Amino acid sequence: MRIKSVKSLASAAKTACAERAKNKMEVLVCAGTGCLANGSLDVVKSFDRAIKSRNLDTKLKLGLKTTGCHGFCENGPLVVIQPKGIFYKGVKPKDVKDIVDKTLINGEVIERLLYRDANTKERVEQYTAIPFYARQLRIALRNIGKIDPGNIDDYIAADGYAGLAKALTEMTPEEVIEAVTKSGLRGRGGGGFPTGRKWKTCRNAAAEPKYVLCNADEGDPGAFMDRSICEGDPHAVLEGMVIGAWAVGAAEGYIYIREEYPLAVKHLQRAIEQARERGLLGDDILGTGFSYDIKIARGGGAFICGESSALMKSVAGEIGEPRAKYVHSVIRGLHDRPTVLNNVETWSDVPWIITEGAEKFAALGTKKSTGTKVFSLVGKVKNTGLIEVPMGITLREIIFDIGGGIIRDRPFKAVQTGGPSGGCLPESKLDLPVDFDTLTDAGSMMGSGGMIVMDDRTCMVDTARYFLKFLVDESCGKCVPCREGVHQLHQILEAICRGDGKPGDVEKIESLSDVIVAASLCALGKSAPNPVLSTIRHFRREYDAHINNRKCSAGVCRNLFTFEISEEKCTGCGLCAKACPVDCIVGELKKVHRIDGKECTRCGACRNVCPVDAVEVV
Amino acid sequence: MSKTCIDPKKARKILDRYPEGDQTGLIHALQDIQAEFGYVPREAVEILCERLNVPISKAFAAATFYKAFSLEPKGDVVIRVCTGTACHIRGAQTLVDEICVALDIRPGGTTKDLKFTLETVNCVGACAMAPVVALNGEYHGNVQPGSITKKIQGGK
Amino acid sequence: MTTDKTINLEINGRFFQGREGMTILDVARREGIPITTLCHHDALEPVGSCRLCMVEITHPDWGGWKGLVTACLYPIEEGLKVTTDNEEIRRVKRTILDLLLARCPESEVIQKLAAEYGVTTTSYIKNEVETTCILCGLCVRVCEAKGCRAISAAGRGIGKAIAIPFKQPPPDCIGCASCAHICPTGTIKYQDTGNVRKIWGHSFEMAKCTICGRPVMPEKQLAFEADKSGLDPDYLRICPVCSQQKTVETIRSSFGISPVESGDSVCDAGVTPVAHR
Repeated sequence: MRIKSVKSLASAAKTACAERAKNKMEVLVCAGTGCLANGSLDVVKSFDRAIKSRNLDTKLKLGLKTTGCHGFCENGPLVVIQPKGIFYKGVKPKDVKDIVDKTLINGEVIERLLYRDANTKERVEQYTAIPFYARQLRIALRNIGKIDPGNIDDYIAADGYAGLAKALTEMTPEEVIEAVTKSGLRGRGGGGFPTGRKWKTCRNAAAEPKYVLCNADEGDPGAFMDRSICEGDPHAVLEGMVIGAWAVGAAEGYIYIREEYPLAVKHLQRAIEQARERGLLGDDILGTGFSYDIKIARGGGAFICGESSALMKSVAGEIGEPRAKYVHSVIRGLHDRPTVLNNVETWSDVPWIITEGAEKFAALGTKKSTGTKVFSLVGKVKNTGLIEVPMGITLREIIFDIGGGIIRDRPFKAVQTGGPSGGCLPESKLDLPVDFDTLTDAGSMMGSGGMIVMDDRTCMVDTARYFLKFLVDESCGKCVPCREGVHQLHQILEAICRGDGKPGDVEKIESLSDVIVAASLCALGKSAPNPVLSTIRHFRREYDAHINNRKCSAGVCRNLFTFEISEEKCTGCGLCAKACPVDCIVGELKKVHRIDGKECTRCGACRNVCPVDAVEVV
Repeated sequence: MSKTCIDPKKARKILDRYPEGDQTGLIHALQDIQAEFGYVPREAVEILCERLNVPISKAFAAATFYKAFSLEPKGDVVIRVCTGTACHIRGAQTLVDEICVALDIRPGGTTKDLKFTLETVNCVGACAMAPVVALNGEYHGNVQPGSITKKIQGGK
Repeated sequence: MTTDKTINLEINGRFFQGREGMTILDVARREGIPITTLCHHDALEPVGSCRLCMVEITHPDWGGWKGLVTACLYPIEEGLKVTTDNEEIRRVKRTILDLLLARCPESEVIQKLAAEYGVTTTSYIKNEVETTCILCGLCVRVCEAKGCRAISAAGRGIGKAIAIPFKQPPPDCIGCASCAHICPTGTIKYQDTGNVRKIWGHSFEMAKCTICGRPVMPEKQLAFEADKSGLDPDYLRICPVCSQQKTVETIRSSFGISPVESGDSVCDAGVTPVAHR
């Protein structure tokens, strides 16, 4: 079982491919967290029963596989039939019989299960024809949706560990660093630090032993790129880390992953055990004499532990308080030793760069931001999910061409990028290219890839308040500007959203923010004012309306508006009354409905369901 | 055995897995205790401190710094409402308010009969199904106002 | 740890030398250049949490880049140019003191420090919880340095507070009150009444001086110090005044000189025994 040489790996790959080629058809069911929540395991069970009871695996040479997250989560459970590439969405156990009879046996496509394009309204059969997927260029996500993440042979059949074999036997550590440098790869966790340079500095540091770590603490709310990679292709991360350990000269490493991702932890742990068993991790990897092993360290529910120095404290069994990084972690990191820490997506890119070549990666994207980036496109957008596209693509292309535009075609208001360290960008900035540097000039940043789309029913002042609350909860409390300053910023925003804003509040926010940025100890504090400053910059009128007129025109800040049903628009369909959780809407069928202002909690459920937009903000 | 009284043998069994005096294992050990008892009881921490040679003040600091740990026992059903950004703009706050009213507790609190605990989580990574509520780890997506209380009270 | 390597740097336009491993604050203190600090103590490792020691640095090789760093932690480097006072630095300090005044409006110490920077009332929302603790962490740090580690900071962020584990008198506390003595705002309190010291919910029995009978230190602390240092506990069980008198008497009697009277000195250097208070 143990693969003792590069030659053995090549033959294992050949065998694995041949095994898989025996199947003429494959049913791939997504078992990522999203589809699991929608019941995809029951779909798998139904398929399994149907296939076994009718011997379809032998009769049709059919394989059934569970895969990682396809990224199109809102449409799950997702099923793909290969090699035809037929894409079915929203599959329930009761649909399985139809799929087996009609599609698998008779080769017919079931229209009602096909994805319907949100804009053309046409049904799309082919996976690759769906705009959401067609415009993607999947490198970090190359295997996800195609392989069973629990089966190492699936990975090996897809050229898995070939990059490692090449690095260990055909390249010196310096040559590996050179290749990664030439590729232009920059840290995908958001920092954008040149990966090759980081590895080189660590390699040259004198102290021993060295460590190579993975940051899987993905704390930005709205981002789930790393979760999908860890669930759907854990071996890609492991392979990348072993290559990195070879380059830097490390024998030990950790994957630090947040405890809120139990499925990802499970899949990574299983992958580690399988890799060790096959001699691809641990002692004497591929019989080359190089040893490197990985352990999993789970986070304890602290966003700050995504910061490198706090992460390393947490791995060492301490509380996650960052330290001033006047001496970098590549010189003194985990246990005060030279440490390389890279993000999940960065690690996932590394094997591809080694096998396909640095030039190929560098040819994609832009000059200073090469390659591709995975984004999680969520919020008020029609096609929510994960996408991977070349750097330099514009916000407009992402949100409208791939994302399909705003749900129910409501007006676009803003897109929030970069998580709590980032900002909100308005319509006027939609043609900006997305890369490491351009969005920063506009007041936001690309960050780890979370992109939250907002429509006219999102209040930008409330959004700033939300992010400040998040940061108050997550601040470690070590330094005064962040602990006290961000708390005070939050207090001001709470007051404004409550209707207690005062003239001069905006100036106070700006002035305090300057000091928080200048004096905070770590990046959490230093970037904490970004959401509020970017919304003041691009949406000043909303702040003025909240403070001077006590009005929230988006209909979010509950003290600053009421809902009223327009008599002209209301058709009396009654959907609002049905949706109301406090039963405060009265009206007869086909007659104008009315909201009881005293009972109304302004939750917005009626506005969400009204088909004619009759619920108005007053 | 009541929820506030633990079996020290269980705790010892968990902590014997850790090398004696291994201070770097503090967070993992606390996680194992949290998983076993549903919270971090003082008696278990005392055993941990002896085994790993960690001062109790440091274990207490870690147990209160990391939100994964609870010093109080939790309810039979732990309701976690995701308040990540995607869930927030799709109405997570309304769901939190609704559950607070229905169960008469605040976020972080547990009902007097120890049946329910309500927590908010800063993103579970299921953003495409926002807003998300997890009941004992089982995820429910696209939760509409009114529906989650029915689910909770249905199981009551 | 410093090495033998000499580093040349510039502070406020003047040139100084230091050794590799020293911080900007080390050099400034040595040269008498004023830099405000609050969470710093010469006996303990710096942490950079109050941010009041921020200085501006730049370097000829940095292409004009300059930034603010904490002097207590930044290691000096060859060619470094430091400015300890300018408008931005004063603005940062003023805001930090303003924020601390919002946190601890009743603390006379903070009121005084804030007034030095022109802040008499806070611009921000006052703390709902009454406290004079500024979370400098000195108490926890000195307890750790002593080897006891009895107290720690619980929670995080704005809710962080110095705490006793599980709200019970800390089992590792020896009653030395180093935490109370180092606290810059006098937040940590203890009571010495008769033969008992009350601190952190403990009542410690005091060891009595074997000569005069006055309390010396808690028994628990005495045992701890003896164990740590290897000193004879009987030596520790004498109060400082009696200990000095004993030393003087031992020497004088060995010379056949009569026992000391108050005000007598043992040598020409003028070592005068201090009387009991």
